[in-house]
Amino acid sequence: MADVVLSNVHKKFGTFTAVEDLNLDIQQGEFISLLGPSGCGKTTTLRMLAGLEFPTSGEIRIGDRVVNDVPPGDRDIAMVFQSYALYPHMSVGQNIAYPLKKRRVPKTERAGMVAKTAEMLQLTPLLHRKPKELSGGQQQRVALGRALVRDPKVFLLDEPLSNLDAKLRGYMRAELIELHQRLGRTMVYVTHDQLEAMTMSDRIAVMEGGKLQQFAPPQEVYRAPANRFVASFIGTPGMNIVDGSLHEDAGRWTFTAPGFSVDAGQLGPDARPGPAAMGIRPEGLTIGSGPIQGITQLVEQTGHENITVVRLEDGLRMTGRTAPDRLWRTGEPVQLSIDARQAHFFAEGPTGKRLNRDVCTMDAPGSNGTSLKEATS
Amino acid sequence: MLRKIAFNLFAWSIVLMVAFPLFWMLVTSVKPQFELFRRPPTILPETWTFEHYWKLLSDTNFLGYFWNSVILSTTTTIVVVAIATVGAYSLVRFRYKGRESLAFLVLFTYLLPSVVLILPLYLMLVQLGLSNTITSLVIAYTTFALPYALWLLRSFMAGIPEDLESAALVDGASRLGAFWDIILPQLLPGIISTALFTFILSWNEYLYALVLVNSDDARPLTTGVMNMLISSFNIEWSLLMAASVMMSVPLIIVFAFLQSYLTRGFGAGGVKG
Ligand SMILES: Nc1ncnc2c1ncn2[C@@H]1O[C@H](COP(=O)(O)OP(=O)(O)OP(=O)(O)O)[C@@H](O)[C@H]1O
Ligand SMILES: [Mg+2]
Repeated sequence: MADVVLSNVHKKFGTFTAVEDLNLDIQQGEFISLLGPSGCGKTTTLRMLAGLEFPTSGEIRIGDRVVNDVPPGDRDIAMVFQSYALYPHMSVGQNIAYPLKKRRVPKTERAGMVAKTAEMLQLTPLLHRKPKELSGGQQQRVALGRALVRDPKVFLLDEPLSNLDAKLRGYMRAELIELHQRLGRTMVYVTHDQLEAMTMSDRIAVMEGGKLQQFAPPQEVYRAPANRFVASFIGTPGMNIVDGSLHEDAGRWTFTAPGFSVDAGQLGPDARPGPAAMGIRPEGLTIGSGPIQGITQLVEQTGHENITVVRLEDGLRMTGRTAPDRLWRTGEPVQLSIDARQAHFFAEGPTGKRLNRDVCTMDAPGSNGTSLKEATS
Repeated sequence: MLRKIAFNLFAWSIVLMVAFPLFWMLVTSVKPQFELFRRPPTILPETWTFEHYWKLLSDTNFLGYFWNSVILSTTTTIVVVAIATVGAYSLVRFRYKGRESLAFLVLFTYLLPSVVLILPLYLMLVQLGLSNTITSLVIAYTTFALPYALWLLRSFMAGIPEDLESAALVDGASRLGAFWDIILPQLLPGIISTALFTFILSWNEYLYALVLVNSDDARPLTTGVMNMLISSFNIEWSLLMAASVMMSVPLIIVFAFLQSYLTRGFGAGGVKG
C-alpha cells in the first residue's frame, strides 16, 4: 500500500518554480532518498510533506488521507531540519523531550524515552547542556534525537548526517538503517551525498531544477540512468559523457564522436539519427589496448585501484579505472577501448533521455552498486 | 600606553560631565535650606538632613503622584509591549498584501512630531469622556510609543529563525503553543528593551500630561511635582531636588533589574549557519 503519495505537486515562490509536477509514490515502510544538487527543491518537497509549505497545486496523501489542509502537528510525522532548529533556551534533554511533552506523554515515561534516545545517539553526557555549547555534529545528533524519540508514521530527514565526521557518519548510517528495519517506518531522506543515498535507500528520487529525473532503486539508477543528468550525477568518478551523433543502418546504430565511433547495436524506439551523447562509466573503459589513442594526464592512486584520466587526441578526457599493479606514468601514450555493451546513449540536451533498449540488464561491476542494506541483513 | 591614559582621561571627564548634575541634585536634596545659597557653595553639605524627603512624603501629595506614575507607566508598558509583540509577529511571519507598506506607515507615524497630535487627541479624549484620567494618558503614550516599539521588536523577531517555529509545529505544538514556548523566550531581550524604552518614556513624559490631565487625582509625577513646587513666587529647590531623586529611583531599579537580562545573552547557536 502506498503510504505517502505526491500527485502532480507544484510549488511556486512568486514566479519562481521550486518544484514542478512532482509525482512520488512511497510505499509503507520504504526508505527513500531525495537526491540532487543544491537548490533542486529537496527541502521544499520535504517541507510540503511536513505541512510547513503549501503546494501551489497538486495533492499530498499520507496514509489514507489527503493532508493538504492538515497542520504539521496532526500529520504524525517527525522531521530533522537541515538547520537543526534546536530550541536555544532549552537543554539537550528538554529539546528531545519537547515533542513528547507536546503530545502529552506522561512525565515518568518521557524521562525513560529521552534517556534511551540519548543513549543511542551518544548524547547521554550532554543532556544538560544548551545547544550553543555543542559542536555541529553534536547539535545534529540532538536534532536527530528529537525526531527519533517519537514513533511517527513517517520520518522526514533533511541531510541529517551532513555535518558529522566520516566515522560518526558511518556509524549513524548503519544505526539509521538498523532503526528503519526495526521500526519499519516510512522514511524520506534528503541528501546530496550519493553514497548515502545509494547505500541506505530502497529507492532514490533524483531531482534537478525542481523536476524529478528518476525514481528507482539504487542499482537501477546506477545501471540504467533515465537521462543524461542522472547518469552524470550518480557515480564517483563520474560517467564519461561524450557528445557526438547517432546514425542508423538497417536497425543497427552507430555513435560517432570526433576521433572514434562505437557500435551502439539496437536502440530503443526513441532513438533518432542526429546529435546525441554517449556515456560510459570508468569501469567500461579498458586502458592499455584498443583502437583509441590518448595520453595519460592524471593518475590517482586510491590503493585498491587507480583512477586514470586519459586525454584523447582532440582534447576529450576520459576517466578509467585500472588495477593497481599497472601504474601509468603521466604523459605516457596509451591505447583505449570502450566496451560498447556498457555504453549508454542519450538524446541531445542536458537532460536528454536514455535511448538504450534494455531497462536494467547490464551487470556492470560497480563497487558503488552494492547496497549496504543487503550486506547487513 | 600614553594613548590609553589619554583615552581614559577623556572618557572619565565625559562621565564626570554627565554625572555632575546628578551629583548636584543628590547633594542639594540633603542640604538644609540655609546652606543652599551660600557663597562660595559647599560641595558636600556641612550638615546632612533628610527633612526635605520627610516633608515631601508627609506634607504633600507626592505619594499620590508617584502612585499615578507607577500605574500609568506600568499599564502603558504592558499595553505597548503586548500589542507590539503580536504586531511584530504578524509583520514578520505572515504574508499578506501591503505588509511592507504597513510597516513603513507605522514608522511614518513615529516620525510625525508628537506636538501636532496633542490637540486632536485631546479633543477625541474629551469626546470619549476620558479627559482627566490616567487612561487618557495611557492611550496617548501608546500612540507614540507603539510605532517605535513595533519596529524594535520587528527586527528582533526577524532575527529568530523560522525553522525554530517550524520545528515546534512539527513537534506537535499549535501555532500559539509554538509562539509561547519558542518565540517568546527567544524574543525576551527584545521585549525587555522595548519595555525599558516604553517605561522610561512614559515615566518622564511631560507635555501630554500637562495638556491632557488637569486634576490631582490623575496627575503623574512630572507635572505633579512641577505644579506643587514651582509657583510664580518661588521655587523650592531642596524639595524639588528631593523629588527628583525619588523620581529617578524607580528607573534605576527597573534598569538594574532588567539590564542583567539584557546582557545574559539568549539565543545564539540554535540554528546552523
Ligand atoms: N521561501 C522561499 N522563497 C523563495 N524561494 C525559495 C524559498 N524557499 C526555497 N526557495 C528556492 O527554491 C529552490 C529550492 O530550494 P530548496 O531549499 O528546496 O533546495 P534544496 O534542494 O534543499 O537545496 P540544498 O541542498 O542546498 O539544501 C531554491 O532555488 C531556493 O532558492
Ligand atoms: Mg535543503
